[in-house]
Amino acid sequence: MSLPNISRVSASGLLRSSCDLRWLLRSVAPLAAPRRALTHMGYRRPGQPREDRPPWWRVKFDLAKGLKGMKRHFKLLKEEFFAPFVGPMGKPIIEHMLEQNQVLWEFRGPHSLQEWTISCDREIGGKSEIYLKVGRNNESCLLYGTLCSDPPKDGETRYSGYCTMRSKQPLASFDRKKYHDWSSFNTLHLRVRGDGRPWMINIVPETYYTHQKDDMYSYFLYTRGGPYWQDVKIPFSKFFLAHRGRIQDDQHPVWLDKINSIGFTLGDKADGPFQLEIDFIGVCKDYAHTEDFAYEKYKRNPEV
Amino acid sequence: MAPPIYSALIISLGLGTTMTFASTHWYLAWMGIEINTLAIIPLMAQNHIPRAIEATTKYFFVQATASATLLFAGISNAFLTGQWDITYTPYTLTSTLITLALAMKIGLAPLHSWMPEVMQGLNLLTGLILSTWQKLAPLYLIYQIQPNNPNIFIALGLLSIIVGGWGGFNQVQLRKILAYSSIAHLGWMILILSFSPPLALLTIIIYILMTFSLFSSFMLTRTTHINSLSTTWAKIPILTISTPLILLSLGGLPPLTGFMPKWMILQELTKQSLCPLATMAALSSLFSLYFYLRLSYAMTLTMPPNNPAGTLPWRLNPRHNTLPLALTTTSTICLLPMTPAIMSLMPF
Repeated sequence: MSLPNISRVSASGLLRSSCDLRWLLRSVAPLAAPRRALTHMGYRRPGQPREDRPPWWRVKFDLAKGLKGMKRHFKLLKEEFFAPFVGPMGKPIIEHMLEQNQVLWEFRGPHSLQEWTISCDREIGGKSEIYLKVGRNNESCLLYGTLCSDPPKDGETRYSGYCTMRSKQPLASFDRKKYHDWSSFNTLHLRVRGDGRPWMINIVPETYYTHQKDDMYSYFLYTRGGPYWQDVKIPFSKFFLAHRGRIQDDQHPVWLDKINSIGFTLGDKADGPFQLEIDFIGVCKDYAHTEDFAYEKYKRNPEV
Repeated sequence: MAPPIYSALIISLGLGTTMTFASTHWYLAWMGIEINTLAIIPLMAQNHIPRAIEATTKYFFVQATASATLLFAGISNAFLTGQWDITYTPYTLTSTLITLALAMKIGLAPLHSWMPEVMQGLNLLTGLILSTWQKLAPLYLIYQIQPNNPNIFIALGLLSIIVGGWGGFNQVQLRKILAYSSIAHLGWMILILSFSPPLALLTIIIYILMTFSLFSSFMLTRTTHINSLSTTWAKIPILTISTPLILLSLGGLPPLTGFMPKWMILQELTKQSLCPLATMAALSSLFSLYFYLRLSYAMTLTMPPNNPAGTLPWRLNPRHNTLPLALTTTSTICLLPMTPAIMSLMPF
């Protein structure tokens, strides 16, 4: 792959707006998942250009798009209204009772990538790259790229080198938040083919307080390199609580009735290319697994 | 939680409700309700897990809002009438405000949205306290105020029965189902309150019996989801028989105890020439009956997909005291033949 030809853009125009920056650094893979905006609102990192355009200039007003959106939302609303007549959450009760396995994401075409978003440390000025595309024969998805741990030279970032893929928040009609309900299950089941790198699986549940928004429950995914697929089953009791990457002292099991997203992160400080192929992600109920929680729930100030 | 603190909180819960029962002054009644609220907050948050803290916070916000409204309405009533007696609320504005504040306290529709989320975040014991004990003081105050115009009670009651039934349709979490069940039963109580307060008292007593037995059953089997009900037969087989009967009693089916209050309420409404209202209430309770039947079906008429390997587990003595469960279950199932005796004891 080659970088786009930037010689036509003048030097002064390069840093004029965030739009240009995105064009400069965007992925060239044709089926890559859309990236998040490089310049987030809020804190502006040193060296990044100011966002001079007013907010209403950034919105593209389009009547046709609006009408299409309204039609989609009303269709979703109608489905939500009639779903309880079938059963809770649109599934018959017998399905709730008997289900032992549920495939949540199965990568069988470009449409399956729409539910995922990718990100890497390029957002904070790093040099990693990440791309997501559909695998061979439309039977898997391939997450690949290059990890680079060189920290950005902005005078404040000390560490860098991460790449991540995360599922988008499910949305109901009119963009209301919906949640995954995995309370019938106790194990995460993945079929992956990696390159031997250790990944971190992160589950982000719905939280209430603002200071909990970076809470996530993580566990490791050790991949084997090699041509064979790997079936990974991780009980949810093994996931531990971390906040902004720091493992917390007060641990508790993850509540599975309101899950926002699941993600895979690579940050093993081994610079170089990486690949992870995923066939499906599902949940299952393992009746033999009776553990509630794998870790001690310490009291930091126990009563004497 | 340390036993002295736990005991102090439980005693405070009792103190708050008793204080409200014993009061005729708005301030004292409000104080009792506030003590109740503040005593249950640490009980709800004792687990220190995010969902429990979220439930506690939501509960506190709702109860604080309702208490503030109640106090404002009480003071306004005192300002307008010149006296603080709870039973004297001649002005529609103040009596409506009081009714709405107390409706928010107990989770009547349309002020019910907090209830399922709060119940979902709590353990079953705290949920039981929330569903039963925490309702007593506000219901007592509603019983006392007796507004001239019963329309607001009828509206709140009917809406709660419908919403309680409709909301439970879409649920598989047992605590949320119990929350909607609570909303529906409170609807029945409020509906009949202005016509026959003793019947409302009977309804709440029987509701407390039924809810206590259901919560205790779920606590014994440690089930919080509908699909874990299907393994009850392997844990405690007798509960597989008694819990569906408790559920059907909650649904109001004869010959179980739960039929008694519904029967009496429909009879009273008919006597008051409110046949359409009685019909709507009876039809709306079919929604609730549907999800009770669904729970019964899940428990008794399904087997889990895989059979447990080997023999049934050892049936050891349960760690919990099962005497309250036994007593309340018997009352929930077998009290209907005593209806004439109970009616003769009711002060009509």
